[in-house]
Amino acid sequence: MAFDAERRKELREMFVAFAETRSPRLRDELIEAHIGLAEYLARRFNNRGEPLDDLVQVASVGLIKAVDRFEPERGLEFSTYATHTIVGELKRHFRDKGWAVRVPRRMQELHLRLGQIVATLNQDLGRSPTVAEIAVEAGVSDEEILEAMEAGQAYRFTSLDAPSPGDDGGSLSTNLGSDDDSMIDVEHRATLSPLLAQLPARQQRILHLRFFEGLTQSEIASRLDISQMHVSRLLARSLAQLRASAEE
Amino acid sequence: MHDEVRLVMPADPEFLRLARVTAMGLASRLSFTIDEIDDLRIAIDELVFGLIGSRGRSGTVALQYSLREKGLEVAGTAAFDDVDSGSPGMSELSQLILDAVTDEHSIETNGDGTPSFRFVKRRSDT
Repeated sequence: MAFDAERRKELREMFVAFAETRSPRLRDELIEAHIGLAEYLARRFNNRGEPLDDLVQVASVGLIKAVDRFEPERGLEFSTYATHTIVGELKRHFRDKGWAVRVPRRMQELHLRLGQIVATLNQDLGRSPTVAEIAVEAGVSDEEILEAMEAGQAYRFTSLDAPSPGDDGGSLSTNLGSDDDSMIDVEHRATLSPLLAQLPARQQRILHLRFFEGLTQSEIASRLDISQMHVSRLLARSLAQLRASAEE
Repeated sequence: MHDEVRLVMPADPEFLRLARVTAMGLASRLSFTIDEIDDLRIAIDELVFGLIGSRGRSGTVALQYSLREKGLEVAGTAAFDDVDSGSPGMSELSQLILDAVTDEHSIETNGDGTPSFRFVKRRSDT
């Protein structure tokens, strides 16, 4: 997004004036003048699992911070300064949402393939496969398998108000109170952690099978008829969510 | 076999991935199954988060991975910049999770006030 020389000069003067007066009107005008930059940067983070509207919102917050903090006397172009601030805000958003910002596409694809490969090997071997066995089957190195496994674990601490990504639908908050006594027995839930009850039913069930009943991930996968990789992802996500809500 | 790998990282969750990938790489050398590798990963997350909290601290976490014949032992010690380190906390749920994913585990505060943990994950005989 480029301004002509005259407009640039005008904006620079507005920044100088705003730095002195902190006039709300100037502030609004400056934000308005650069909103295109926020939208442009938000679009560059699109297709990563977050709605564009939300990203524009986040980028706008970054823009407002940039306008408020910009010091024109330092001689830096506002667009340079603001780009840095806005991108920082967007990255933080993804971090807080628990999505990996930089999982290479090749790794995402390998991760998706792994689900099937692991399921097949599980069946053929009658046990959970080793990394070396998966690597041979997938025709890639051990390291790539490890990296692809890690790529599916990109969840960080998700707040209870964040949408729970994937197939369980709805945000965590909407699932609050949707208890299912058949999923986790009352005794455990009461003595252990009311936090568990806040998770979507399927995640509760997986936690229960893994940590209360001691089933392995592969055993859970076959009982629920989903892939081991999926169980792994859901477990990682559940634990990250529990950790986040425990700290709130 | 008694090989050792050490990793010192900032006490920041951003770096947890390194701790996990190191454990996974070593476990794969020991022919752990991917179920067991996932357990390791969960154990590392649980224990390191237990030391540094989900927002991290100013300081470092030193991890020592020891390869045993049938498993991996991981010991971690935190060194925080602020004096009041506080003692590491482990919820009942963490305890339960660690019981399920490790063969042995402990978390404690050392004499000098630094928190530390240790766990062992053995390979199942297949």
